[in-house]
Amino acid sequence: MKYFPEIPKKEIDEIRNSIKATSMKVTSENIERMKKTVPNRPKTMTYFDEISEFFGQREHEIRAAKEEGRKVIGYNCMFAPIELILAADAIPVRVNSGWYDASRLGDRIVPVEVCPVIRSMIGAKMVGLSPYLELSDAVINTLTCDGMTKLGEILSDHKPIWTICAPRVKDSPQSMVFWREELKTTKQKIEDLTGNKITGKKLRSAIELLQKATKAFRRLQDIRKGSPVIMGRDAMLVNQTSAWDDIERWTQKTEELCNELEKRVHQKTWACPPDTPRVMVTGTPMVWPDNWKLPNLIEESNPQGVLVIDELCSSDRLLYDPVGVDEWTMDDMFNAVAERYLLTSTCPCFTSKDGNEDRINWLLGKLKGFKIDGVIYYVVRGCMLYAMEYTRIKRILDRKNIPVYYLDTEYTREDVGQMKTRVEAFLEMLKARAET
Amino acid sequence: MITAGIDMGTQSIKVAILKDNEPMSQELVFSGFEPTRAAEQAFEEALRKAKFSHNEIKHITATGAGAEMAHYSDSTISMVGAVARAGAYSFPSARTVIDIGAEEARAVRCDEKGTLLNFVVNERCAAGAGTFIEAMARALEVNLREMGPLSLKAEKASQINATCVIFGESDVVTLIHRQEPKPEIARAIYDAMAERISSMVYRLGVNPDVMLVGGVAKDVGFVASLERKLGTDVLIPENPEFAGALGAALFAAKRVGESN
Repeated sequence: MKYFPEIPKKEIDEIRNSIKATSMKVTSENIERMKKTVPNRPKTMTYFDEISEFFGQREHEIRAAKEEGRKVIGYNCMFAPIELILAADAIPVRVNSGWYDASRLGDRIVPVEVCPVIRSMIGAKMVGLSPYLELSDAVINTLTCDGMTKLGEILSDHKPIWTICAPRVKDSPQSMVFWREELKTTKQKIEDLTGNKITGKKLRSAIELLQKATKAFRRLQDIRKGSPVIMGRDAMLVNQTSAWDDIERWTQKTEELCNELEKRVHQKTWACPPDTPRVMVTGTPMVWPDNWKLPNLIEESNPQGVLVIDELCSSDRLLYDPVGVDEWTMDDMFNAVAERYLLTSTCPCFTSKDGNEDRINWLLGKLKGFKIDGVIYYVVRGCMLYAMEYTRIKRILDRKNIPVYYLDTEYTREDVGQMKTRVEAFLEMLKARAET
Repeated sequence: MITAGIDMGTQSIKVAILKDNEPMSQELVFSGFEPTRAAEQAFEEALRKAKFSHNEIKHITATGAGAEMAHYSDSTISMVGAVARAGAYSFPSARTVIDIGAEEARAVRCDEKGTLLNFVVNERCAAGAGTFIEAMARALEVNLREMGPLSLKAEKASQINATCVIFGESDVVTLIHRQEPKPEIARAIYDAMAERISSMVYRLGVNPDVMLVGGVAKDVGFVASLERKLGTDVLIPENPEFAGALGAALFAAKRVGESN
């Protein structure tokens, strides 16, 4: 063992059971709160509520599939090439950890200065908490931020870790060459693990499956551009579950949800008054179920806000971009998959020759498209990339006269009171600006 | 028209009663372990002083960290919204209002009508708030009221750490052991706190006139340090600790005006 301490099995079991019980309680509490905010919440949301439970239906499904011989490939970052995993008939599942209590366990291995998302994943592994991580036969670890880079080493005590190195400069030709080679190695590893060859036919159907998911995903986000028929928290949950649900079923349910929502647009049945301040959140990923405090605060605040879109790799960034294929040849398909993951990413881990203009332009596009009144820039302690980028984003937003508030927090429940006074003041300000 | 504002602070509760936007009375009590009861007490006392009865009050607005505990209030407003209103009311030329509470500090930008245009709040730490000065006065073993005048006698500046109340305290102890004169240590305490506050204000931008409210505004030592750091004079209203309650009462009057 390079990192993990020896903990007696009895203690491990006790801690795991206690965090698991809290997780299930928080999951149902969050859902109750979301229901309370919108009494006539869309009916299809019930499906997403159920699939959001980490210790439930989806865990059993994956376990059953594994018993029949299918392989499970976990990933902790949205750079993992899902199409390649699906084409080898393996199950892709995201293994990020949003459990506050697990982050405190992680403190036994790394200092508290480390980002809590990372500490929580370490803690989850220490006690075997995350069903998806435990069920994974291997975990794809992309080297994006410093935390993710070292996380792979730490988790390798217990899991086969497949490292993918992401180039830090996105827009140079050599980066693309390098990235393609990285994915080729990954493809080989997937084939070796599963014993299934990724054929052109299989890759094509995997790409098409994800393209359909992207279509449903975009349809949902487009609906959110208008007056609110769905609260941001509900949409965030839908988007987030795509990272662990069966993607075909998820697509079908999301289309059903959109049908329901379009009826509501037609009937002008709003989820909250149309003049509710429209907020966007960007920054550190927010992982279900514990780290739902900011979305809860925004949409339950007095005055109320509505989270019409976010710019987080845990929700609204996930399926936005489809793989664009010119010719359905193996080479072309593979290159298209590689490009989709690298070139469309708006992760702040990149810089570019033009200074990561991509991310800025993408943000500005969303601000306009979703008619945003104000931005909450959310950073957890230790999340250097987002924290360092803030000043630049603020300058740009200042020039556009869009208020932005920097909110820093931790994986803890104790600072909700402090956060609440800040969020309320921000929403009050947005309302006052709208009135003058 | 009579309105009331109640500021449910973490350390003390302040009540202000207005008649046609003119202050009639005000009252401060310590929050203690039963803030709800303390709030009732403060309210009764303010009413008694102003010689008004309950049913003459048209609207009560609560603000501050414990605003929800004032369950008899008709509405709530955030502290930043409240101090923006109080700022423009006290000094129409004020564009930046700095408010230092016991456990939170904030700076707001407002227009001449008291509309909240932008704001910043201190980071998740009490080192930039009133509690810091109290803790440091204890470490230095001087009365809080005497520390300000004492610091003005300092001949040169020493330095302490203000990123954390605990570390700050151990720095003060180090200076005591080095037998630095007390006035200089006192000044170092104010300078450290003013450094924290001014870097927060710089994030917002220093738009003159700058106004300071909250109990700390009564501390001459801190005011001198802050003016040095910001490079500008600061305006201080007559009862700076009541700014939140006053702003809330002004907001209450606005609400009554809107509903009429």
